[in-house]
Amino acid sequence: MPDLRYEKIQALIVDDFDNFRIMLFNMLQELGIPKVDMASSDQEALGLCATNTYDIILCDQNLGNGKSGQQILEVLRHRPNLNSDSIFVVISAAANKSIIMAAFDYEPDDYLTKPITPRTLEQRLSRLLTQRLLLTPIYAAIKKRNINLAIDLCRCEISGVNRYSNHCQKLLGYLLLEADRCSEAEHLYRDILELHQLDWAMLGMAHVKKRQGDSLSAQHWLEELIQFNPLCLKAYDLLADILGERGDFCAQQEIFMQALVFSPLSVLRQQELAKVTLKNNDLMSSVDAFRNAVKLGENSCHDNLDVHINFIRSTIQLAKIDKKIPKPILRDAFKSVSEFTERFGKSADVKVNAYLLESQLYNAIGEEKQSKEAMFAAEKVINKELAHLALSTKIEWVTTLRSQDKVNEAERITKELISEYHSNEDALQKIDSLLEEPCSEMNKALVEKTNKDGIAYYDAKDFTRAIAAFNSALQGLPQHIGLRLNLAQALIEQLKLNPESQKVVLMTRQTLNCVLQTISSAHAQYFRFRQLEEFFKLYDMERNLPH
Amino acid sequence: MKSKTTGIDFSFVLASSVHDMKNSLGMLMNTVSDVIKKYPPQNASHANSYAVLEYEAVRINSELIQLLSLYHLDRDDVRVQVDKHCVIDILNDQIARNDCVFQSHKIKVDLVCDESLQGYFDADLIGGVVNNLLVNCARYCKSSIRIAAHQEQDYLCISIEEDGPGYPQDMLDAAAADTEMQCGFAGGRPHLGLLFAQKVALMHESKTHQGFIRLSNGGQLGGGCFKLYLP
Repeated sequence: MPDLRYEKIQALIVDDFDNFRIMLFNMLQELGIPKVDMASSDQEALGLCATNTYDIILCDQNLGNGKSGQQILEVLRHRPNLNSDSIFVVISAAANKSIIMAAFDYEPDDYLTKPITPRTLEQRLSRLLTQRLLLTPIYAAIKKRNINLAIDLCRCEISGVNRYSNHCQKLLGYLLLEADRCSEAEHLYRDILELHQLDWAMLGMAHVKKRQGDSLSAQHWLEELIQFNPLCLKAYDLLADILGERGDFCAQQEIFMQALVFSPLSVLRQQELAKVTLKNNDLMSSVDAFRNAVKLGENSCHDNLDVHINFIRSTIQLAKIDKKIPKPILRDAFKSVSEFTERFGKSADVKVNAYLLESQLYNAIGEEKQSKEAMFAAEKVINKELAHLALSTKIEWVTTLRSQDKVNEAERITKELISEYHSNEDALQKIDSLLEEPCSEMNKALVEKTNKDGIAYYDAKDFTRAIAAFNSALQGLPQHIGLRLNLAQALIEQLKLNPESQKVVLMTRQTLNCVLQTISSAHAQYFRFRQLEEFFKLYDMERNLPH
Repeated sequence: MKSKTTGIDFSFVLASSVHDMKNSLGMLMNTVSDVIKKYPPQNASHANSYAVLEYEAVRINSELIQLLSLYHLDRDDVRVQVDKHCVIDILNDQIARNDCVFQSHKIKVDLVCDESLQGYFDADLIGGVVNNLLVNCARYCKSSIRIAAHQEQDYLCISIEEDGPGYPQDMLDAAAADTEMQCGFAGGRPHLGLLFAQKVALMHESKTHQGFIRLSNGGQLGGGCFKLYLP
């Protein structure tokens, strides 16, 4: 047994429950650990972690008020800091480790179940510290990015009769993949699976197959794994990656939703789901997913302005087509917008975006007076700070002007933007979101390709893929009438096949409504639009007739 | 799962109640051991009262774990999470969990297990089974418990023996029975602990083998002898 030198160790206890904190404190002191700090909240804990380096952090899973140990671990593991290598032990009163662990985006080093006896704590600490000590050379090699050395060291550990051989096998598999030594990794995982069906080895096989470019095999491994252990969330994430790369965003959305059933507090996964709903133009799901992401962001270091902006934008879109939009959604949207500066700082961009989105929100629910007031407030800041505003803010400004029917002013500013950024392809791609016909080279090519692919799918009666193709392109080019009418047409065909699908009905209505807002009667495709609209109206009327 | 009459989601109620109970229990157990430290028992009667306090708290804890596990197993929302583990760690964890009880009951616990012995199993579930057995042994043994683990051909065998009066005949019969129902409710009396152990054993299977339990009397210490075989 190596010398663990408890007298050199610094520990942190995080628990909202006074008695429990003190109890753990006493236990650690009796073990001979002199330096033990205590925190009763996540904020206090993070404050201490910012100035101290702890060897070990004992953290209660439930910190009250919806806060959890997960959020602390998230911050410590997310980016380098004084405590990114600390041993993090989660303490929970819940008996089932797998259910608790599934909720974590980052894996803690260990898990202790309450009630804890002094002997339990002593045993566990000694085990963790011994492991850390013995494996130090491997972790040091990894830190220096000397992966091949780390691999050799792992193999050495595994070959001896060693209680850490399992841990080293997992690590070895990971390192072999990192070093792109796929066939060795495959060999390792197959040997393990030969004896026992272990989830981490199955996951490893999926990684191997994906790296070898065999995404179908990877998918099979993952589907089998999810069947075998529905709580293996890394399997869902990898599967979602594969589906995303393949462009199958509908299936990707489905997988994220399944994973979130088991990990409802995972802010990153919720944000990913929200992003993919945008690609699928699935408005109801976007509102739900972004709303959840905003809520989870409240206690997370992963909170970001884009998530809030997208929540409000999708709420605005929904409010426009559904006059009975649930009040709590609107309430959350107004709350989010009112907290912009508090959460994301008082820069002119943040302020202006908040006012503009507030103005659009009021406009969408027919509160014109308030909408104008918010616009007035926004323009006051814009006039003062125009030179310093980000392009995205100016684009939001144009969108807001349009929502208030200030078409001429919107056109004038759009033209100014195009000339200001005429030699900046990246910027032009963003400006394209305001234009019917894109001005950037990339988006011009995108329209051409999407129409070609989408129409080919349509002709082959593969409406699902046609819809996905048009939806995906429309995400960056929401004003493109041609693409949107193509989408509407594919949706209507889909509706003929699935007359009961509420989702398709809503999407079709939303799509036609979007066109209605932008198309003029002089437009070349106006007649086509009216035909599609007419057809949908008839269909909708028939559907609503009493049977 | 919502109740039809009250609309209450009982999975939530159960989980959060058990959570709170375990928190309280933790405090209770630690307060008891603090009290014992501050006011050591003056006579046998004191010592006995302390021992009862400690034992019953530990017992409630083990029942709660078992209750929750059975509930999850029944709902099929927990699968076995098999991984390779050091057997001695899992056994030590369970002994440590009940350390106070063993001390106050003056029970000698022997652990016979090779440091390097490893096995494939779900550590939570097997830990729960072992914990349950230890708590029961603490009640029925005279003064010693022996826990041993070794590899027996294709199986990992974990045995827990004590020097008490041994298992009653209906339990021995029940454990020998084939079906879970018979195992759990032998002679009309529920043996939830046994049912739990058997359910957990059966859930551990390899490509060719499946886990099982064996109950007998005698063994090395003369009392009850429980054996858990895992592939």
